Amino acid sequence: MNSHDVTITGYLVVLAAGVTLQLLSRRPGSRIPPFGAVITWAMGSRTLRVAILVGWAWLGLHFFAR
Amino acid sequence: MRDQEATRTRSGHAIALLVGLRMPVVIILLLIAAFTAASGKPLDGLLMMIAAVCLAWDAGRRSRQAAETGDDLDQAYQDPGADGTATSVAPPLSRRQRVLLAAAWLAAALVYVLVVGSFIRYSWPATVAVLGLGTVVVAVGWRGPRRPRARPARPSRIGLLLWLAVILAGCLWELQALLQQPTMTASSYTHPTVSTLTDPMLAGWGGRALLLAVWLLFGWFLVER
Repeated sequence: MNSHDVTITGYLVVLAAGVTLQLLSRRPGSRIPPFGAVITWAMGSRTLRVAILVGWAWLGLHFFAR
Repeated sequence: MRDQEATRTRSGHAIALLVGLRMPVVIILLLIAAFTAASGKPLDGLLMMIAAVCLAWDAGRRSRQAAETGDDLDQAYQDPGADGTATSVAPPLSRRQRVLLAAAWLAAALVYVLVVGSFIRYSWPATVAVLGLGTVVVAVGWRGPRRPRARPARPSRIGLLLWLAVILAGCLWELQALLQQPTMTASSYTHPTVSTLTDPMLAGWGGRALLLAVWLLFGWFLVER
Protein backbone atom coordinates (compact mmCIF):
# COMPACT_ATOMS: atom_id res chain seq x y z
CA MET A 1 0.00 0.00 0.00
CA ASN A 2 1.66 3.24 -1.11
CA SER A 3 1.13 6.81 0.15
CA HIS A 4 -1.51 7.48 -2.51
CA ASP A 5 -3.58 4.52 -1.31
CA VAL A 6 -3.13 5.49 2.34
CA THR A 7 -4.35 9.03 1.62
CA ILE A 8 -7.41 7.78 -0.23
CA THR A 9 -8.11 5.21 2.48
CA GLY A 10 -8.10 8.07 5.00
CA TYR A 11 -10.81 9.90 3.06
CA LEU A 12 -12.85 6.70 2.77
CA VAL A 13 -12.55 6.03 6.52
CA VAL A 14 -13.86 9.54 7.29
CA LEU A 15 -16.70 9.07 4.80
CA ALA A 16 -17.53 5.65 6.26
CA ALA A 17 -17.54 7.14 9.78
CA GLY A 18 -20.04 9.79 8.67
CA VAL A 19 -22.30 7.22 6.99
CA THR A 20 -22.08 4.98 10.09
CA LEU A 21 -23.09 7.84 12.39
CA GLN A 22 -26.01 8.67 10.12
CA LEU A 23 -27.16 5.03 10.11
CA LEU A 24 -26.75 4.74 13.90
CA SER A 25 -28.84 7.90 14.33
CA ARG A 26 -31.76 6.13 12.62
CA ARG A 27 -32.00 3.47 15.32
CA PRO A 28 -34.88 3.95 17.77
CA GLY A 29 -33.73 5.69 20.96
CA SER A 30 -30.34 6.57 19.50
CA ARG A 31 -28.41 9.31 21.31
CA ILE A 32 -26.68 10.20 18.06
CA PRO A 33 -28.55 12.88 16.14
CA PRO A 34 -28.84 12.71 12.33
CA PHE A 35 -26.56 15.09 10.42
CA GLY A 36 -29.57 17.23 9.47
CA ALA A 37 -30.54 17.70 13.12
CA VAL A 38 -27.01 18.85 13.99
CA ILE A 39 -27.03 21.37 11.13
CA THR A 40 -30.52 22.59 12.06
CA TRP A 41 -29.41 23.12 15.64
CA ALA A 42 -26.19 24.88 14.60
CA MET A 43 -28.08 27.16 12.21
CA GLY A 44 -30.00 28.48 15.22
CA SER A 45 -26.93 30.51 16.14
CA ARG A 46 -26.53 33.58 13.93
CA THR A 47 -22.75 33.34 14.06
CA LEU A 48 -22.64 29.65 13.14
CA ARG A 49 -25.36 30.18 10.52
CA VAL A 50 -23.28 32.76 8.67
CA ALA A 51 -20.08 30.72 9.08
CA ILE A 52 -21.73 27.59 7.65
CA LEU A 53 -23.15 29.52 4.68
CA VAL A 54 -19.77 31.17 4.06
CA GLY A 55 -18.23 27.68 4.16
CA TRP A 56 -20.75 26.51 1.57
CA ALA A 57 -19.99 29.49 -0.70
CA TRP A 58 -16.26 28.82 -0.26
CA LEU A 59 -16.75 25.23 -1.47
CA GLY A 60 -18.29 26.48 -4.71
CA LEU A 61 -15.55 29.06 -5.19
CA HIS A 62 -12.86 26.51 -4.36
CA PHE A 63 -13.97 24.07 -7.03
CA PHE A 64 -15.06 26.46 -9.78
CA ALA A 65 -13.81 30.03 -9.32
CA ARG A 66 -10.42 31.62 -9.92
CA MET B 1 -19.19 67.23 19.95
CA ARG B 2 -19.72 65.56 16.58
CA ASP B 3 -16.02 64.61 16.50
CA GLN B 4 -16.34 62.95 19.91
CA GLU B 5 -19.36 60.96 18.73
CA ALA B 6 -17.54 59.87 15.57
CA THR B 7 -14.51 58.79 17.63
CA ARG B 8 -16.76 56.87 20.03
CA THR B 9 -18.52 55.13 17.11
CA ARG B 10 -15.19 54.23 15.51
CA SER B 11 -13.77 52.86 18.74
CA GLY B 12 -17.05 50.93 19.28
CA HIS B 13 -16.63 49.28 15.86
CA ALA B 14 -12.99 48.46 16.62
CA ILE B 15 -13.85 46.90 19.98
CA ALA B 16 -16.69 44.88 18.40
CA LEU B 17 -14.26 43.62 15.76
CA LEU B 18 -11.67 42.65 18.36
CA VAL B 19 -14.29 40.79 20.42
CA GLY B 20 -15.48 38.93 17.31
CA LEU B 21 -11.95 38.06 16.17
CA ARG B 22 -11.50 35.97 19.32
CA MET B 23 -14.41 33.69 18.45
CA PRO B 24 -13.28 30.15 17.45
CA VAL B 25 -15.49 30.05 14.35
CA VAL B 26 -13.99 33.33 13.09
CA ILE B 27 -10.47 32.03 13.74
CA ILE B 28 -11.31 28.87 11.73
CA LEU B 29 -12.60 30.98 8.82
CA LEU B 30 -9.45 33.14 8.90
CA LEU B 31 -7.25 30.01 8.88
CA ILE B 32 -9.18 28.66 5.87
CA ALA B 33 -8.72 32.05 4.18
CA ALA B 34 -4.96 31.97 4.81
CA PHE B 35 -4.50 28.39 3.52
CA THR B 36 -6.73 29.11 0.51
CA ALA B 37 -4.69 32.18 -0.43
CA ALA B 38 -1.41 30.28 0.11
CA SER B 39 -2.58 27.43 -2.12
CA GLY B 40 -2.87 29.69 -5.13
CA LYS B 41 -6.43 31.01 -4.79
CA PRO B 42 -5.92 34.62 -3.65
CA LEU B 43 -9.38 35.85 -4.66
CA ASP B 44 -11.05 32.95 -2.85
CA GLY B 45 -8.91 33.62 0.22
CA LEU B 46 -9.55 37.35 0.13
CA LEU B 47 -13.33 36.88 -0.05
CA MET B 48 -13.20 34.39 2.80
CA MET B 49 -11.18 36.87 4.86
CA ILE B 50 -13.65 39.69 4.16
CA ALA B 51 -16.55 37.44 5.20
CA ALA B 52 -14.67 36.40 8.36
CA VAL B 53 -13.94 40.02 9.33
CA CYS B 54 -17.56 41.07 8.69
CA LEU B 55 -18.75 38.13 10.77
CA ALA B 56 -16.28 39.03 13.54
CA TRP B 57 -17.59 42.60 13.64
CA ASP B 58 -21.25 41.50 13.57
CA ALA B 59 -20.80 38.76 16.18
CA GLY B 60 -18.72 41.07 18.38
CA ARG B 61 -21.33 43.83 18.14
CA ARG B 62 -24.13 41.43 19.11
CA SER B 63 -22.00 39.98 21.91
CA ARG B 64 -21.45 43.48 23.37
CA GLN B 65 -25.14 44.37 23.04
CA ALA B 66 -26.08 41.06 24.68
CA ALA B 67 -23.75 41.84 27.60
CA GLU B 68 -25.57 45.16 28.08
CA THR B 69 -29.16 43.96 27.64
CA GLY B 70 -28.87 40.34 28.81
CA ASP B 71 -30.75 39.13 25.71
CA ASP B 72 -29.55 36.20 23.59
CA LEU B 73 -28.86 38.12 20.38
CA ASP B 74 -27.11 35.16 18.77
CA GLN B 75 -30.43 33.29 18.60
CA ALA B 76 -31.49 33.05 14.94
CA TYR B 77 -34.71 31.08 15.35
CA GLN B 78 -37.95 32.64 16.47
CA ASP B 79 -41.21 30.87 17.31
CA PRO B 80 -43.64 31.05 14.38
CA GLY B 81 -45.99 33.97 14.84
CA ALA B 82 -44.14 35.23 17.92
CA ASP B 83 -44.26 38.84 16.80
CA GLY B 84 -46.60 38.66 13.84
CA THR B 85 -43.85 38.94 11.26
CA ALA B 86 -42.85 37.07 8.12
CA THR B 87 -45.02 34.07 7.28
CA SER B 88 -47.49 34.69 10.04
CA VAL B 89 -48.61 37.75 8.05
CA ALA B 90 -48.05 36.43 4.51
CA PRO B 91 -51.08 34.58 3.13
CA PRO B 92 -50.46 30.84 2.72
CA LEU B 93 -49.88 29.62 -0.83
CA SER B 94 -52.39 27.35 -2.48
CA ARG B 95 -51.30 23.87 -3.59
CA ARG B 96 -51.19 25.01 -7.23
CA GLN B 97 -49.04 28.04 -6.34
CA ARG B 98 -46.66 25.85 -4.36
CA VAL B 99 -46.28 23.44 -7.28
CA LEU B 100 -45.65 26.33 -9.69
CA LEU B 101 -43.12 27.90 -7.33
CA ALA B 102 -41.29 24.59 -6.89
CA ALA B 103 -41.26 24.08 -10.68
CA ALA B 104 -39.85 27.59 -11.19
CA TRP B 105 -37.06 26.98 -8.63
CA LEU B 106 -36.27 23.63 -10.22
CA ALA B 107 -36.13 25.16 -13.71
CA ALA B 108 -33.89 27.98 -12.50
CA ALA B 109 -31.55 25.48 -10.79
CA LEU B 110 -31.43 23.33 -13.91
CA VAL B 111 -30.57 26.31 -16.13
CA TYR B 112 -27.90 27.42 -13.64
CA VAL B 113 -26.33 23.95 -13.49
CA LEU B 114 -26.33 23.50 -17.27
CA VAL B 115 -25.05 26.99 -18.10
CA VAL B 116 -22.45 27.34 -15.35
CA GLY B 117 -21.37 23.71 -15.86
CA SER B 118 -20.55 24.59 -19.47
CA PHE B 119 -18.07 27.26 -18.32
CA ILE B 120 -14.42 26.28 -18.02
CA ARG B 121 -13.26 25.88 -14.43
CA TYR B 122 -11.51 28.89 -12.91
CA SER B 123 -12.70 31.10 -15.78
CA TRP B 124 -14.18 34.54 -15.10
CA PRO B 125 -17.74 33.53 -16.15
CA ALA B 126 -17.64 30.58 -13.72
CA THR B 127 -16.20 32.84 -11.01
CA VAL B 128 -18.88 35.50 -11.44
CA ALA B 129 -21.71 32.92 -11.50
CA VAL B 130 -20.56 31.07 -8.37
CA LEU B 131 -19.54 34.23 -6.53
CA GLY B 132 -22.87 35.91 -7.34
CA LEU B 133 -24.98 33.05 -6.05
CA GLY B 134 -22.75 32.54 -3.01
CA THR B 135 -23.00 36.22 -2.08
CA VAL B 136 -26.80 36.24 -2.40
CA VAL B 137 -27.19 33.11 -0.27
CA VAL B 138 -24.83 34.39 2.45
CA ALA B 139 -26.58 37.79 2.46
CA VAL B 140 -30.02 36.16 2.74
CA GLY B 141 -28.80 33.77 5.43
CA TRP B 142 -27.23 36.62 7.41
CA ARG B 143 -30.72 38.04 8.01
CA GLY B 144 -31.82 34.77 9.62
CA PRO B 145 -34.07 31.87 8.64
CA ARG B 146 -36.47 32.36 5.72
CA ARG B 147 -39.38 31.40 7.97
CA PRO B 148 -39.85 31.81 11.71
CA ARG B 149 -39.24 28.53 13.47
CA ALA B 150 -38.73 27.30 16.99
CA ARG B 151 -35.18 26.32 17.85
CA PRO B 152 -34.94 22.54 18.23
CA ALA B 153 -33.63 21.00 21.42
CA ARG B 154 -29.86 20.75 21.62
CA PRO B 155 -28.73 17.30 20.44
CA SER B 156 -26.91 15.11 22.97
CA ARG B 157 -23.36 16.17 23.79
CA ILE B 158 -21.93 12.80 22.74
CA GLY B 159 -23.75 13.04 19.41
CA LEU B 160 -22.42 16.53 18.73
CA LEU B 161 -18.89 15.50 19.70
CA LEU B 162 -18.99 12.46 17.40
CA TRP B 163 -20.12 14.54 14.42
CA LEU B 164 -17.56 17.21 15.25
CA ALA B 165 -14.85 14.55 15.41
CA VAL B 166 -15.77 13.22 11.94
CA ILE B 167 -15.84 16.71 10.38
CA LEU B 168 -12.58 17.66 12.09
CA ALA B 169 -10.92 14.41 10.99
CA GLY B 170 -11.93 15.11 7.39
CA CYS B 171 -10.54 18.66 7.53
CA LEU B 172 -7.26 17.56 9.15
CA TRP B 173 -6.78 14.73 6.64
CA GLU B 174 -7.29 17.20 3.78
CA LEU B 175 -4.86 19.61 5.47
CA GLN B 176 -2.13 16.99 5.90
CA ALA B 177 -2.47 16.08 2.20
CA LEU B 178 -2.22 19.76 1.26
CA LEU B 179 0.88 20.28 3.41
CA GLN B 180 2.60 17.21 1.92
CA GLN B 181 2.31 18.48 -1.64
CA PRO B 182 5.63 19.51 -3.25
CA THR B 183 4.43 23.12 -2.97
CA MET B 184 1.16 24.65 -1.85
CA THR B 185 0.19 25.32 -5.46
CA ALA B 186 1.35 22.02 -7.02
CA SER B 187 -0.94 19.02 -6.67
CA SER B 188 0.50 15.67 -5.67
CA TYR B 189 -0.37 12.15 -6.83
CA THR B 190 1.16 10.69 -3.66
CA HIS B 191 -0.84 12.92 -1.29
CA PRO B 192 -3.92 13.99 -3.24
CA THR B 193 -6.32 16.55 -1.77
CA VAL B 194 -10.04 16.25 -2.50
CA SER B 195 -9.61 18.92 -5.18
CA THR B 196 -6.90 16.84 -6.88
CA LEU B 197 -9.05 13.71 -6.73
CA THR B 198 -12.03 15.50 -8.29
CA ASP B 199 -9.99 17.19 -11.04
CA PRO B 200 -10.57 14.41 -13.65
CA MET B 201 -14.31 14.43 -12.96
CA LEU B 202 -14.53 18.22 -13.17
CA ALA B 203 -12.62 18.33 -16.45
CA GLY B 204 -15.84 17.43 -18.29
CA TRP B 205 -19.12 19.29 -18.58
CA GLY B 206 -21.16 16.43 -17.06
CA GLY B 207 -19.00 16.20 -13.95
CA ARG B 208 -19.09 19.95 -13.41
CA ALA B 209 -22.88 20.02 -13.80
CA LEU B 210 -23.25 17.12 -11.36
CA LEU B 211 -21.06 18.73 -8.70
CA LEU B 212 -22.84 22.07 -9.17
CA ALA B 213 -26.17 20.31 -8.65
CA VAL B 214 -24.90 18.74 -5.42
CA TRP B 215 -23.57 22.16 -4.31
CA LEU B 216 -26.95 23.78 -5.03
CA LEU B 217 -28.85 21.03 -3.22
CA PHE B 218 -26.65 21.38 -0.16
CA GLY B 219 -27.09 25.17 -0.27
CA TRP B 220 -30.86 24.74 -0.47
CA PHE B 221 -30.74 22.33 2.47
CA LEU B 222 -28.84 24.96 4.51
CA VAL B 223 -31.05 27.89 3.55
CA GLU B 224 -34.14 25.91 4.55
CA ARG B 225 -32.78 25.34 8.08
